[in-house]
Parts: sequence; C-alpha cells; structure tokens
Amino acid sequence: MASKNRSQPATLDDIRVLDLAGEAGAYCGKLLADLGADVIKIEPPDGDPARRSGPFFHDDPDPNKSLYFFAHNTGKRSITLDIASESGRAALKRLVEKADVIVEAYPPGYLDGLGLGYRELGRSNPRLVYCSITGFGLSGPHAGYKDGDLIAVAMSGMMYLAGEPDDPPNRPYGNQAYYCGSIEACSGILTALLHRDHSGEGQMVEVSLQEALARNQETAMQYWDIRKELRKRIGAAHRLPGIGHYQCRDGYATLMVGVPGFGAPLPVLIQWMDEEGMAGDLMSEEWKQIFGQIDLRLIGRLYQGQADPEEIATWKPRLEHVDGIIGKFVATRTKMEMYENGQTRGLLVAPVSTPKDVVENPQLNFRNWFTEVEHPELGGTIRYPGPPYHFIDTPWRITRRPPLLGEHTREVFEEFRLAEALAAADPPEEKA
Amino acid sequence: MTTDYNLPLAGIRVADFTWFGAGPIYTEVLANYGAEVIRVESQARLDGLRLMHPMPPERSGINLSGYFNNFNPSKLSLSLNLRTEKGRDVALKLIEVSDVVAENFTPGTFEKWGFTYERMLEVNPDVIFVREPMQGLNGPHRDFAGFGALITPLAGVNHLSGFPERQPLGLGTNYTDYVVNPGHAVIATLAALHYRNRTGKGQLIEVAQVESSVCVIATAVLDYTANGRVQERQGNRHPHACPHGAYRCEGEDRWVAIAVYSEDEWRAFAGAVGEGWTQEKRFATLESRKENEDELDRLIEGWTGRRRAEDVMETLQAAGVPAGVVQSAEDTLDNDPHLRERGYYVYLDHPEAGRTAYDGVVARLSKTPGRLSGPAPLLGEHTESVCKEVLGLGDEAIAELVAESVLF
Repeated sequence: MASKNRSQPATLDDIRVLDLAGEAGAYCGKLLADLGADVIKIEPPDGDPARRSGPFFHDDPDPNKSLYFFAHNTGKRSITLDIASESGRAALKRLVEKADVIVEAYPPGYLDGLGLGYRELGRSNPRLVYCSITGFGLSGPHAGYKDGDLIAVAMSGMMYLAGEPDDPPNRPYGNQAYYCGSIEACSGILTALLHRDHSGEGQMVEVSLQEALARNQETAMQYWDIRKELRKRIGAAHRLPGIGHYQCRDGYATLMVGVPGFGAPLPVLIQWMDEEGMAGDLMSEEWKQIFGQIDLRLIGRLYQGQADPEEIATWKPRLEHVDGIIGKFVATRTKMEMYENGQTRGLLVAPVSTPKDVVENPQLNFRNWFTEVEHPELGGTIRYPGPPYHFIDTPWRITRRPPLLGEHTREVFEEFRLAEALAAADPPEEKA
Repeated sequence: MTTDYNLPLAGIRVADFTWFGAGPIYTEVLANYGAEVIRVESQARLDGLRLMHPMPPERSGINLSGYFNNFNPSKLSLSLNLRTEKGRDVALKLIEVSDVVAENFTPGTFEKWGFTYERMLEVNPDVIFVREPMQGLNGPHRDFAGFGALITPLAGVNHLSGFPERQPLGLGTNYTDYVVNPGHAVIATLAALHYRNRTGKGQLIEVAQVESSVCVIATAVLDYTANGRVQERQGNRHPHACPHGAYRCEGEDRWVAIAVYSEDEWRAFAGAVGEGWTQEKRFATLESRKENEDELDRLIEGWTGRRRAEDVMETLQAAGVPAGVVQSAEDTLDNDPHLRERGYYVYLDHPEAGRTAYDGVVARLSKTPGRLSGPAPLLGEHTESVCKEVLGLGDEAIAELVAESVLF
C-alpha cells in the first residue's frame, strides 16, 4: 500500500518542529519527521546523551554511531546550541519565530528559568505549540522528582504486573516510558495543531511519563476499583491449559487457545496433537465433555481465583493433566511451526520472536516493511524498522539518516539568519 | 448531538466499527478531545470485552465490564446488526456523514459487508478510513489472528524483557494493545485530519498492529541488522547506570526502583544511605559498580529491606536520586498523592456499573483540554438518538428497523 513516489506531498510537510526532547521525546520527533515535518534537533554542544548510549555500530563508541540514537532520530536535522548561554537563547528565540512546535523534556521549570518557557515563547509566537514531556508532569507533589525510564514504569503500575511472583518486578525492554510518552506527546501536539488549524492559536501540551504508561496496567486498576482485588505477577504459570508461554524445540511460543470467542477452541489443538500421535487420552468422550464445560464464566472464576474450593479441586488436576500433554507436544515443534500450522488451523499462537526472528519474519518481509537507510559515512545502508502506519496518499518515509552531531548547524544558521540574531545578543567572548 | 466547540476535535464525527482493545482505546482518545464517536455494536456480534472481567462482585452483564467500560467513555453506542442488508444500508449512511471511519476486523470482514474504500469514496469523497488489522491487508500471514497477547511476543518484546535466567514471561499484560497500537492509530488519524484541513483530501490509512509494535524494539532491530547481534534479556539492569533495579522493601511484595545514572547521583545515593559500604572503592565508579553489581544489589537490598518503599523513595528523591515505588494498582488509584492531586483518574457514574474509575486524558492541552464527557455507553444506548439526529430517520422507519432486528 505504501507508495515510494517521493514527489508526493507529505502529511506534515507544512510543520517545523524544534526538538529539545533529548531521549524521552526523541521518538516523538521521529514520528513527526517521518510524516514530513522539518524537525530540527537542538543538541547541547557535547551532543544528545543518547549518542553516548549503546549499542554502537560495529561496537565503535563514537557519538555518530549509536544505534540507540539512530533508532529514534531519523529524518531530523541537528544543530548544537548551548541554550544556557545568552547567544544560544537568542538563536533559539529566533528559531521559535519560524517554528510551529517545540517539544522539550527538561525538568519542570528549567526552560522557564532560561526565559525559554511557554510563557515567553508563546508570547513571541502565539501560534506555537509547546510540548513538555517530564517524568511526572509539571504540577503535583512529585513534579520535581528525578525520573528516567525505570522510575516511570515503576510508578505507573505496569512493572508490578511483570515477572515471577518471587522475583523483583520486571522492567520492560527498551525504554517503553519514552515510547509511550512520545506517542502521547505526538498525539497531543497534533491535537493542538488541529485546534490551531481552526483558531490560529497555539498552546501548551503537557505529558507525564507516569500517566502515559498508566493504561498499560490493563485491567489491574479496574480490578482494584470494582472488586478490591489486586492483580499480581503470575510469571510463567499457565492460568489455563493452552494459555501462556510454552517451550518449543528452538525457543518459545505463546498460546492463547481455549478462550471462548478467541480463535479455534481447545479441541482443535488436541485434534492436531492427535494427528501427530501426541494427544494422550484427550480424544476420549470423557475429555470431550469436559472441554464442553469450559466457558467464559468458569475461566473468569478460575483465572482470578474466585472459584469455590470444590470447583478448584475438580478442575485443577484436570487442567494440569491437559496442560502437561500440551506442553509435551509443543516441545517437539519449532516456534514457527507452532505459529504457521497453528494459525492455519485458527489457533491463536505466536512465536516469542527474537530480534532475528523479527527481522526474518515472512509477513514483514513480504510487505517490504523494513526500510533501508543510506549511511554513506558507514559505507552502506542499515535496515531500519519501517512505518507504524501506511497512508495511501501521503506516505511515511525516512527522508534522511539520523544526523551527525551538529551536521546542520551552519545550514540552519544561514537559513534562519541566526548569525544576525547572535551578533545582536552575543557578548564578544562567547562563541556560538 | 451536542457539540462543544471549545474542544479541539469538535465537529469531527467518527463511525467506530472497532472492537476489543486497540481499536476502542484509539477512538476513545478522539472522543475525549471532542470528536463525536459512534460505536457501531450489535447483540448479534458483541464486543468480546463486554463479557470480560472485572465485573462488580456477584454480578454479570454486558454493560458491567470494567475492561470494556474503561476504553469507551465519551462515546455513543448504536446497536446495528451488520449481518442484515438493511443494517449495512444504515451503516453506509453513517459512513456518508462521518469524517473518520475506523475498523479493526480481520481483513475481509469489512469488504464482505461491502464497505470497501472505493464504495466509501462514492458516498463520502473526503473520508478518512482507518484500518487497524493485526498483520496488514496483504501477505502470507494476513489472516493470522490475535491481539496484544500474541502481538507483544510476536513483535519481540517478550524475548527481550525480564531476567536472563528466566524463560520469557512477557509483561503480564497484552502490552501493545493499550498505548502503542492505539497511540499510533491516533497519530495517523490526527495527521490525516490536519492534511485534510490543508488540502480537502481524505485518505486510507492502514495501521498493521504487528508493524506498529516492532517500532518499540527499534534498538534491538538495529543491533541485529547492523551488528548481527541477537539481544537477550537483561533483567532490570542497564549498561550505563548502576545501581539500576527494583529492590525489596518492608512489607509484602513491596519494592522500590532505583536508577543511578551519574556519579553525582551515586554520591547523593551514598550520602542518603549513609552506610560504610557506599564509600568502598569497589563501588566508586560506574565501571567498578558494574563489576560488583551482584554484591552492590545485595547490600542495597539489605538497606531497603528494613524500610518502607515510600520512605526509600522520599529519602532518595530528597537527595536527588531517581527512585520510585513499584506501585500496584491499589497504589496508583488510591495511594499516590501525586496522581490524585493531578486528577489523572476520573470517576464517572454509570447507570448499571455505578461509580467507577477511568483512565483520564494523558496529553493535557492548556487551552483545549480533553475530558471524559460521560461513562461508557450501554449497548445501544444511543441507537434512537443517533438514528434521528445523525441519520435523519423518522420514528416510523426506526420502529420498523427495530421490529426487523436491524437495530439490535
């Protein structure tokens, strides 16, 4: 569906963004850049901290080779600016006059202290949409708290649900606080731009990472609210046979078989096991009747431990017996066989993909999803994750590889005549 | 229908054919900013979430699920049986007068009902049609089914999360259903609305949930495509921060997360803890702390284990060290003074479920803040008003459609 025609207009090619959002908001800037916005990343003179985080291209810890930086900064231009200096502030203010959006992730009050808060910048450019991303938002008793991905996922409630019951709660991979915060920030910025389309006025958008993550608690909040039951970590336990992670010959697969209304029912899996001679005694009439008794209400009661003791005593050994036979069967298959053969039968099964599996995924490759980006300095191209969405008329695209540190400082200074702005503000001993 | 023009999406109508999680959460965001979101549902094809737990103690019913209700405030519900021809006619009328049409069925379902993009263009030339299939609209796995429980492991999140000595466990939830996939669909829709404001043109958008989900493990993808390295689980540790983890505190299943990113923060940590081991040479630099991380974690837990998680957080934060309680749902809803003061959770009165909490609006806009305008609708609660006020049907026509189980 994605068109590769580069002459086509882009969805946001009328929008200029100043990205001062460091690590927490980097993905927000990427989302806007890949939809066609002109995103100018404003880095401190020693570079965005992400440039010093690994992994690095060929493990060479060069600030222009961080894959972590690459992943979240495609399509942007980079300038370096010491915004704490008089001249840096003057340059930023000049840029703001020509910008539609600022996204920043400094601690609350920091930019205000430099005269670069919304109050000042919004006055000089009333059409400006000014987005702040912080760990806890700009108000409230924890607004000044130190944050970071781990602290935000912990305080959001989502981490409490991940892991084995006796282990420390598990952190999700990959700075999910920054992804969720960036996604929510981008959605707030676009909403504000839609308001501006009609009214002409900009405004402030405030995103707290803790709140951006809170919904990832799934139903835990509602269980507490409605039933005063606390959802906890269940680790590798299979809540019901056919539901959970199972070991395969070459890794793991996730099964979601047997929830009424979700894919083919348990007997379809058992039929498959029987074809391979591995159904044990589960093809008997007795077991067929038992499977017929599994409905949503029973699952709800057992799943949440609300069944009465007699019911549990009846069902627990039955379910363990079935689960053991399923486990033995899955252990003889590959994860891809479980996935493709299972799904062809209508069973809800997925592989627990490694990064290699993801990159080799037949569906993603059939759709040419991964996107080659040229890195002339590195002597070739790198395959990047592709679009989160496809637009039929205004395609998503990576227009340029992530910028080298300060690569566009000169270009941007000339384009926006920043030298003049600096000359006006610059004490002689300071350099831009 | 009433329209509040102070809301940024006032005047935008969404024909919402989505169901389960990733679709309805997406349209909820639009509704909370003022779009008129009309959920097309039917008793003949119930949204499965209406049947799911949690429900109030000793009760069950299709309007009681906290799971469903939390994703559907601020919306209207039209109960319309799309398995009937007249039902599909009514749906097409709704499409004709909508700005956005959203669906997340398995590919083919919408086409089967005759709702192709081409057909929509005939009745609504600038429609924005957003499709949110799991795998995409073509390809060898097009028809493979699932939801967040499968998409999260399929996209690589489960392999990478958790302790290396454990098998993959996932995150205990259907992670990508809640922010990642609905969030990307929101962004696509808002960007398309902006483009339509500029050009008058609508368009077709496809959000393949597996693709949208792989975006959030991008670094691991690049480490493989550029370096050939298959990343493994790292538990709670971080290559550039130490200590970095969750530490057991006093009480049952109480934990505090601590992340020390810089030497300044380490000195602040050492000062706040005030025990001799924090001054030992083997913990003096990031490199040496990483080398002795097991021992460091043990010593830290010796200190946190005698304290309440809240006290550890407050002590460390007062010293300038990133620290936070690993909060449970009880904490986030009832005990977190910060979320309470900010009013993140919103309580709404629902005619059957009573007063319950909802996740609130995340991105706070200073001039046009979103809001939850009302609780999740009862199934078909707005059938009559939508038929009259949006579709212009008369009483007689409506009665006929009810009698024929079209409005059902």
